[in-house]
Amino acid sequence: MLAYLLVSGLASGCLYALVAMGLVVVYKSTTVVNFAHGELFMVAGFFAYTLHVLLRVPYLPALLLAVLASFALGMLTERLAYRPLMHAPTISLVLAAVGFSFVLKGLARQIWGGRGDYIPFPPLLGTDPIIFGEIVLVPQQLVVVAATIICMLLFAAFFRWTRTGKTMQATAENAKAARLVGIRVDRVYALTWGLGAAAAGVAAVLMAPLTFVYPDIGMSLLVKAFAAAVLGGFGSLPGAILGGLSVGIIEQLAGGYLHTSLMEISAFVIIMAVLIVRPTGFLGARGLRRV
Amino acid sequence: MPSIGTRAQVMGVALMALALFPLVANPYLLYVVNLGVIYAVLAVGLNLLLGFGGQFAFANAALFGIGAYATGLLQVRLQWPYLLAVGAGVVFTTGVGLLVALPALRLSGLYLAMATLAFAQFTQWVLLNWEKVTFGAGGFKIPPPRFDPLPLTSAQGIYFLSLFVAAVLVILAWNIVRSRVGRALVAIRDSELAAEALAIDLARYKTIAFVLSAFYAGMAGALYSATLNFVAPEGFDLFQMVVQFSMVVVGGLGSIWGSVLGAGLLLAMQEGLRAFKGAQEIAFGLLLMLCIIFLPEGLISFLKRHLRGWSEPLRRPDPRR
Repeated sequence: MLAYLLVSGLASGCLYALVAMGLVVVYKSTTVVNFAHGELFMVAGFFAYTLHVLLRVPYLPALLLAVLASFALGMLTERLAYRPLMHAPTISLVLAAVGFSFVLKGLARQIWGGRGDYIPFPPLLGTDPIIFGEIVLVPQQLVVVAATIICMLLFAAFFRWTRTGKTMQATAENAKAARLVGIRVDRVYALTWGLGAAAAGVAAVLMAPLTFVYPDIGMSLLVKAFAAAVLGGFGSLPGAILGGLSVGIIEQLAGGYLHTSLMEISAFVIIMAVLIVRPTGFLGARGLRRV
Repeated sequence: MPSIGTRAQVMGVALMALALFPLVANPYLLYVVNLGVIYAVLAVGLNLLLGFGGQFAFANAALFGIGAYATGLLQVRLQWPYLLAVGAGVVFTTGVGLLVALPALRLSGLYLAMATLAFAQFTQWVLLNWEKVTFGAGGFKIPPPRFDPLPLTSAQGIYFLSLFVAAVLVILAWNIVRSRVGRALVAIRDSELAAEALAIDLARYKTIAFVLSAFYAGMAGALYSATLNFVAPEGFDLFQMVVQFSMVVVGGLGSIWGSVLGAGLLLAMQEGLRAFKGAQEIAFGLLLMLCIIFLPEGLISFLKRHLRGWSEPLRRPDPRR
């Protein structure tokens, strides 16, 4: 029982970690939490579904296209809901993003909602469970874990070794100074939003075969990703990964040992507990205050 | 500058017209206008927190729901008379608002938004899962309240009660924002640091803002449950929150009269789109976004600019824009 819960917690935790990473990447460079992030995830899932199930594009190209599409959608979000409001108060930014998220949700319901709302998605490998001793694995869970690890390594390599990655880090560190040394900060912001959305897109295409995709999935995923990010210490990428895995495991344990309905609110409890007990999370910087 | 009369005159005439409205209206119109009056209470309450206090919270729809559920459940489960249930429901909702305010005092900006979003999801979960008390996802019916000694039908009675409550609460809000409390809230919104330097007790005034908006939301919920005679969890979800945000923003952040205007207009829009349920999310989302970007001071800014006697104190455009 425990082993099973840990494994499935790890698999869903990987997905939360990916979504949280997207949230944190955007937050680090623009100090804004993208409230439409969950809807970007949802739309990416539907893209993958349209390409693979409806248009019969082979699996891997379909997934790559869906991730690319969510990258573009992330840049579009930046253009519509962030750039015109860059110097506005936080309230305006959040309201605009919330408005945009409902536009996306409404559109998704119009386009894909008629199909019973819950859409099945075939898995990448077979459906036969793999059995190691007591542990029963769905092959897709292995795919999720492997793909997440690859993705995280790519992220790390990108930030460490590419020029674009370095300009992003510089912009996050100090946007004014970055502009002074000739970095096109606007372009970096757009790229960052695209990258964040792409991370959510990867999570969505991996998750689609495990559970269902439906228009309302976005908000609950945003709350889980936020719980992960807060738990890890907001603004820290390794923290987001650690937080995501913890949220996944805590959720499974609460569901398995206490009551299944608790799975839905464990994220809420985590957010509250962290904010009250240790607002800086596992790896967050201490004593930072933005004035 | 043209003039259509002072604001007090216009509002007085509007109130008279609304008071006489049941004489001519059919039941459907009466119901719609009644909802509009209730939404005005909600929007004004939310604006005290959001537009004046600058505190971004997602809790209002949940508190609205808690007010409606508390009032309804007291009548159905314990057979309390309506007015008593309203009183208790409002007190309960205000208490919950106080509980939400306590952790919220330590948080600001995005953290506050997220924590209250989580609270909203939690409230939905309780309404859905605590079936022994809340009847779960299907909701429940509430018997229409009676106003016995008075010669009024249930719908008319609720209408007059709502109108009376709304008039009192809007005037109350109008007086609050021009008082010491209102000035303190605006100072906090514009800069917490500067407000603290002026010896404004942040915790105290933020609590006041939260409790006030919870009180308004509870009152609106209590009236709403009796207007619909039915409550269900889906009426108080995040879409409800977006509807309220849109009302406040379209009317004008930081304007009491703007909220009244926004509530009326957007409720009319929602009723107009009743047949196209799928379009509602898109319409409200788009309206919210466009209004924030292109008309950050809301529709009321037109009236303020072009009509004599409609300006409001302390509501200058945000200097950071």
